[in-house]
Amino acid sequence: MEPEAQVTVGEKQAATGTGNPPEVLDGPFSTRQLLRIDEALRLADQGTGLVFSVYVGGLDEPIREHAQRLHRQLAEPDKSVLIAVSPNQRQLEIVTGRYARKRIPDTYAKLAALSMVASFGGGDLAGGIIQGLDQLASHAGKG
Amino acid sequence: MTVHPTRNIPGLSFRLGALGLSVTETLLVFVGIPAAAVLVIAGLAAAGSRGGGGGGAKRYRPGRPFDFTPVWFLGRPEQLADSAGTALAAGAQAPALTSRKQEQAGREAPAGGTGGASDRW
Repeated sequence: MEPEAQVTVGEKQAATGTGNPPEVLDGPFSTRQLLRIDEALRLADQGTGLVFSVYVGGLDEPIREHAQRLHRQLAEPDKSVLIAVSPNQRQLEIVTGRYARKRIPDTYAKLAALSMVASFGGGDLAGGIIQGLDQLASHAGKG
Repeated sequence: MTVHPTRNIPGLSFRLGALGLSVTETLLVFVGIPAAAVLVIAGLAAAGSRGGGGGGAKRYRPGRPFDFTPVWFLGRPEQLADSAGTALAAGAQAPALTSRKQEQAGREAPAGGTGGASDRW
């Protein structure tokens, strides 16, 4: 994996200013899917007060540690939930911070993971992510 | 347009239909038009699949290699901490994570107490 090639949402706006197609469109999602994921993330953040984040890309071995490293890079890891998906390794990791874990116990994270994996197995990355975000957010409830 | 010889035979008064066409006309109507229609449809199909709209090449199929740029979605981009561990000012562009930053994050003491779940498909 090329970590330098990662694209964050912030860059998407920067690229649109230059007139080139935004780099995020090189990612695994179409524009419509990106909009839906964006909406799902916004609703999850607003509804729960937690910080949800979705990473789609390669994860280095050991995969769990890499996902936790990404989670630590977030501004507030304690109240953050990271969903890391590696389509080529067919691996899903959900990392919840110390505070977020109280709102979303591991058993419920596992439940969300199961339904996401069902969608991923059918080839629907965006659908699985949106469904997982929805499940996690609705279980976390209002902050 | 040349008149087909059978038109001049006396006593033949029924409609000739396609028999009244010359060889070139027959070819034009029965080969040219279908060929044109096939070409137009094939052209539209090719243009449609190349132009995207869920084009076949970009689609993820489990078990097949899937080439794409890694993406990281945040509800608000300013929530990504920089290498010093402080949040970026609101409205600032979140930079792409460099490998150096990732290594630095790896050297930090593990946060501990993180939970979650893992699964494969």
